Amino acid sequence: MSATLEKGVNAFREVMDAPIASFFNSCVHCGLCADACLFHTETGDPKYTPIYKLEPLKKIWKQEYTLLGKLASMVGLSQPVTDAELEEWSPLVYDSCTLCGRCTVMCPVGNDITYMVRKMREGMAASGHAPAGVIEATRKTIEQGSPMGILPKTFLAQVRDQSEETGIEIPVDQAGADYLVIMSSMEIMGYPEFLGSLARIFKQAGVSWTVSSEAFEATNSGIQIGVSDIARQIVMRIVDAAEKLGVKYVISPECGHAYTALRWDGPNLIGRPYKFGVVHVLELLDQLHKAGRLKTEGKTDEPLTLHDPCQIVRRGGVVAEPRNLLNMVASDFREMEDCGSYNWCCGGGGGVSANHRAEELRFKSFQVKKRQIEGTGVGLMVTACANCRNVLEEGLEHYHMDTKMIGITELVAEYLKEDKPA
Amino acid sequence: MHDEPTLAAHLRRQGISRRSFLKFCAATASLMGMSPSMAAEMAEKLGKVTRPSVIWLSFQECTGCTESLTRSHSPSLESLLFDFISLDYHHTLQAASGEAAEHAREAAMKANFGNYLVLVDGSIPLGEGGAYSTIAGRTNLDLLQETAKGAAAIISIGTCAAYGGIPYADPNPTGAVPVSAIIKDKPIINVPGCPPIPLAITGVVAHYLMFGGLPELDGLGRPKSIYGETIHDRCYRRPFYDQGKFAKTFDDEGARAGWCLFELGCKGPTTYNACATTKWNGGTSFPIESGHGCLGCSEPNFWDAGSFYKALSAPISPLGKAAAAAAAAGAAAGVAITFHNRSAKAKAKAAHQTVTVKDLEK
Repeated sequence: MSATLEKGVNAFREVMDAPIASFFNSCVHCGLCADACLFHTETGDPKYTPIYKLEPLKKIWKQEYTLLGKLASMVGLSQPVTDAELEEWSPLVYDSCTLCGRCTVMCPVGNDITYMVRKMREGMAASGHAPAGVIEATRKTIEQGSPMGILPKTFLAQVRDQSEETGIEIPVDQAGADYLVIMSSMEIMGYPEFLGSLARIFKQAGVSWTVSSEAFEATNSGIQIGVSDIARQIVMRIVDAAEKLGVKYVISPECGHAYTALRWDGPNLIGRPYKFGVVHVLELLDQLHKAGRLKTEGKTDEPLTLHDPCQIVRRGGVVAEPRNLLNMVASDFREMEDCGSYNWCCGGGGGVSANHRAEELRFKSFQVKKRQIEGTGVGLMVTACANCRNVLEEGLEHYHMDTKMIGITELVAEYLKEDKPA
Repeated sequence: MHDEPTLAAHLRRQGISRRSFLKFCAATASLMGMSPSMAAEMAEKLGKVTRPSVIWLSFQECTGCTESLTRSHSPSLESLLFDFISLDYHHTLQAASGEAAEHAREAAMKANFGNYLVLVDGSIPLGEGGAYSTIAGRTNLDLLQETAKGAAAIISIGTCAAYGGIPYADPNPTGAVPVSAIIKDKPIINVPGCPPIPLAITGVVAHYLMFGGLPELDGLGRPKSIYGETIHDRCYRRPFYDQGKFAKTFDDEGARAGWCLFELGCKGPTTYNACATTKWNGGTSFPIESGHGCLGCSEPNFWDAGSFYKALSAPISPLGKAAAAAAAAGAAAGVAITFHNRSAKAKAKAAHQTVTVKDLEK
């Protein structure tokens, strides 16, 4: 109970770096980011213009880091940021931004608005303006190890289940393995078959791998709520476990923000490079296929489409891989309109799915996804992020759509060529 | 020579057919932007004029302009021109030398005072009292001022005479200036180019002969009919520019395919001249056609406009002193503000209290 406005404003000052200063300076107020944001396009409300969501942070930048702004606040033309103002902005910063990055790619002057929202959340969280649902998820991650409250024993039980189901032993805490597999809590709870599918694929491909009883949670609530101190602590769990086991790579699972947190933010948070590499599971599967180690047989004739998870595709650069894999096992893969790097977010990334306050807005903005799905005319949608999948399933149900969903790894595993004993 | 009654009679005596003469008139009329029907009128008028006296002054120059005018093989349009005019003084071309040569100039000036044309090629050096270039012991400045007094008009042939050209280029050791910097009370026509297109020279003279006045000039004193459009707008490679197809080096696929040379520094887009239409060497080719970008030789300060191989979008000249000072002041202010902002940020960092899950609520 110790969050204060002062701490928040101090955090705003602290995050002010050269990129943010130049982004604010470069903004030409063209409003193109508004049309890039699903919360704006689906509501038509101008307050959801991405750059506007940063107004308090911009105010601090102007008042304390620019000459004119300083003069303006000295003569009373510019008022200091207040608690009430931050409270008003909380829904803009947390509910109506999934950190999807679409505004960033649309910005004609190249402002990384997503980066700024992420940084602004530092001050919002430190001043006590983070939404209750996201605070709760963060607390559970720190206190219990996972935002959904999954304990190590729950995870190990799922590992055992999948071992039994597939008849393949899943190595636990095996030092010296090449790859460490981690999962998102959404996968552990909702889609544990991801692990079984991976076990089958890795068996065929002869991949040396393990899971860890100490670090199994891939998601990072610290990134979503915007507290680097907490994000660092969460990422260190994986770093410690991976470096203790001496693995060569950690595989980021089918979870968007987990990939961003581990691959891009992690080394900056801990202030040093990892002693291992990070690879997304889709990248690895594509590599294995290209090396001839992953073989599939047959293809589904069912028309299907792909939902590109923002953090993996747009922010992560894994664009071609999911398409290579899909074309390997599907004969009728149809792209959505605005696919790839320009895809529309599921609406629940960046902590929004954990934020109950945002539910109504989330369903409203799901309409763009609905149009995209209907435009393809298919009944099966594939994705590569468990959070996207969960949010999409909720949206589909809300709008009474009968589109089915599946993860790419599972789909690939379904068509795995069984090695027959010679 | 001045006893010759008309041009037409003179030409006939020289063995030049009426057909050749009409062809010349048609070509000149089209270059000067006149309607085709003007060719006949031009032939008629030109046929009747008496040949005006022309004094050609060569100052600080390389003789390239004279080469341009004379190198064309006969019976060319340019050689015809020598029969239209009475070229009474020209260092390179006249047979006389020494005092006899200077005497020819003085005689022509005296006989045609107020009516002769002065053609100048080369710039005029003013440094060291004009000692850098003298003729018959007199400075170029002196000669120009004296000769210009009785001139009907002055035609500055070539970029040196028109805008200073290469002698004028930084650091201009001889203090060279163009004709227009010295002569203020006579009409001056600039025919720039390094060298100018031969037809541009003959065209301007023909215009003067025919209409007795100056052609319409642009802001830089050039005849609009010849210098009205850019090389770029008339370039046969222009479609490649429009399609975004550029040669990146002089020996790549694009260069071989004849793509636009813009990225290799072609100054065509900012150069006003007729090379792309009249071409050179009897209409054979022009620089871009032989694979090299335009140097912009007919534009003022072309020698100081940066590398010939730097694309136009790159800054072509170094910052002026005021701009450099402003940039330095701006950089200093930037450094000061940066230090201030850094210390503000460092203070904020020092004031940072680790945020734990217990600190997320008020």
